Amino acid sequence: MTLLAVEHLSGGYGEVDILTGIDLVLARGEILTVAGTNGAGKSTLAKALVGLLPRVSGRILFEGEDITAAPTEARARLGIGYVPQVANVFPSLSVVENLEVVEGVAAPRARIAELFDTFPALAQRRRARAGSLSGGERQMLAFARALMTRPRLMVLDEPTAALAPALVAEAFARIRGLPALGAAVLLIEQRARQALAISDRGAVLDGGRVALEGTAQTLLADDRAAALYLGQAH
Amino acid sequence: MVFWVELLIAGVVSGLVIGLVALAITLVFGIARFPNAATGDTMTLGAYGALAGHAATGSLLLGGALGALGGAVTGLAAYALVFRRLSGRSTVALLVASIGIGFILRAGLALAFGHTQQVFQAPLVRPWRFEGVRIHPNDLRLAATAAFALAVVFATLYLTPIGRRMRAVADDPALARVCGISPVRVMVALWLLAGAVAGIAGVILGMRTVVAPEIGWDMLLPGFAAAILGGIGSPVGAVVAGLIIGIAQEMATPVVGFTYKIALAFVVMLFVLLVRPRGLFGRVEGVR
Ligand SMILES: Nc1ncnc2c1ncn2[C@@H]1O[C@H](COP(=O)(O)OP(=O)(O)O)[C@@H](O)[C@H]1O
Ligand SMILES: [Mg+2]
Repeated sequence: MTLLAVEHLSGGYGEVDILTGIDLVLARGEILTVAGTNGAGKSTLAKALVGLLPRVSGRILFEGEDITAAPTEARARLGIGYVPQVANVFPSLSVVENLEVVEGVAAPRARIAELFDTFPALAQRRRARAGSLSGGERQMLAFARALMTRPRLMVLDEPTAALAPALVAEAFARIRGLPALGAAVLLIEQRARQALAISDRGAVLDGGRVALEGTAQTLLADDRAAALYLGQAH
Repeated sequence: MVFWVELLIAGVVSGLVIGLVALAITLVFGIARFPNAATGDTMTLGAYGALAGHAATGSLLLGGALGALGGAVTGLAAYALVFRRLSGRSTVALLVASIGIGFILRAGLALAFGHTQQVFQAPLVRPWRFEGVRIHPNDLRLAATAAFALAVVFATLYLTPIGRRMRAVADDPALARVCGISPVRVMVALWLLAGAVAGIAGVILGMRTVVAPEIGWDMLLPGFAAAILGGIGSPVGAVVAGLIIGIAQEMATPVVGFTYKIALAFVVMLFVLLVRPRGLFGRVEGVR
């Protein structure tokens, strides 16, 4: 069952097209890694999906509904969770306020209690200002915040980039667990090999379009992908 | 000694007025992201609203409430008719538009009520005396009104869902939308709140002194000085800095004279901009 379909998606911040015709599909409960070099357009694709890119053409279908022109807040309520690469928490709000502020949650108190059970480190700092958290804690808070609505799609933009090496494996494990909670994942990652290892499929962006696409196994075995985009094995 | 204590009390009351103006300025700056030069004239409209309300009902309380309502409606109208259409445009475009709105308000009020100063027709009450210090019951009532208004604003900001949304938009408008927050809803709440705060500041100023078309415009400089001293975007800072400037102005009057006390706000503003641009309570991470 297709959850997300992206058809000939182009667009950018000003006159210049950063995305130059992207086609992608994501099935329910699937994890898709989106890799690519710096500046390939990965973050821009994420912004286009959540409605934060100023100018787009083409189509974005979510659960069969055309959301290309839907405002960001409407997409959030439809069940698209998003963790931006940077600035992904409200620094002057407390940890618990960062969760309370999310709209369209059925039973917010109970949901926050659930998420605090899942992320005990956040529960301990519930009254702390998010701006005072460490990089890893912030990432955790941003992740929990995006989960508030029980989204059907999570768009994660380099969720392990700000983490200390010791926390990376744990983060990938959490992402691996998302489909079981009902969410498909579009996972943008520099650590493409580790990301593909927990993914069903992968796509490599280059110059604002999909240069390579396939199952995680084929991409991991593909010499071209390995040499160009995925970094050397280690 | 008695003389200075009386100046201190006068300073606290005018400081509360400056604090309210600065609060209205800093709320708009933090959330809508531009310096609203119509804040002063929204104040003036509040003062005239209270004057008219008092004349019609004979009640200062009802008059004041009408002034606050007038300010709120003015704020909302300015947003709906002008600022909303300019959203996404440069800060300068919004600032210039707000100067224009202020001018229209000022000219409209002068046209409707004339240029002559008017005063609230309230019975004269003897001041109370404590150890020789005179305290005017009227000042006390106005200070209590200001304190009550401040309490309502802070409770709204820090204890209610809409206040939390406003603070979220102040932190990061794009992320707020990602969290499902409708920007329009937050802006409507912001302009109602900031307008009402400015309106109440005008009511208090008008009841303490006189009502004339220029009273609000003249408060803009001390208001901005306090907003900057407090750390632009910081509501607590705006109020604390308003009190500091109000008290400093009154205490300086015997030294520098009445005409120059307004210059003090200007000096404070320049000093802060040059030495500590983030003010007393400005956030480091708030600077993007
Ligand atoms: N806010 C922006 N305004 C203008 N150009 C931008 C903006 N953000 C990114 N770009 C440009 O878009 C291109 C793709 O950037 P991005 O999507 O962030 O790449 P990636 O996430 O793959 O590293 C780059 O050339 C970058 O300079
Ligand atoms: Mg990026």
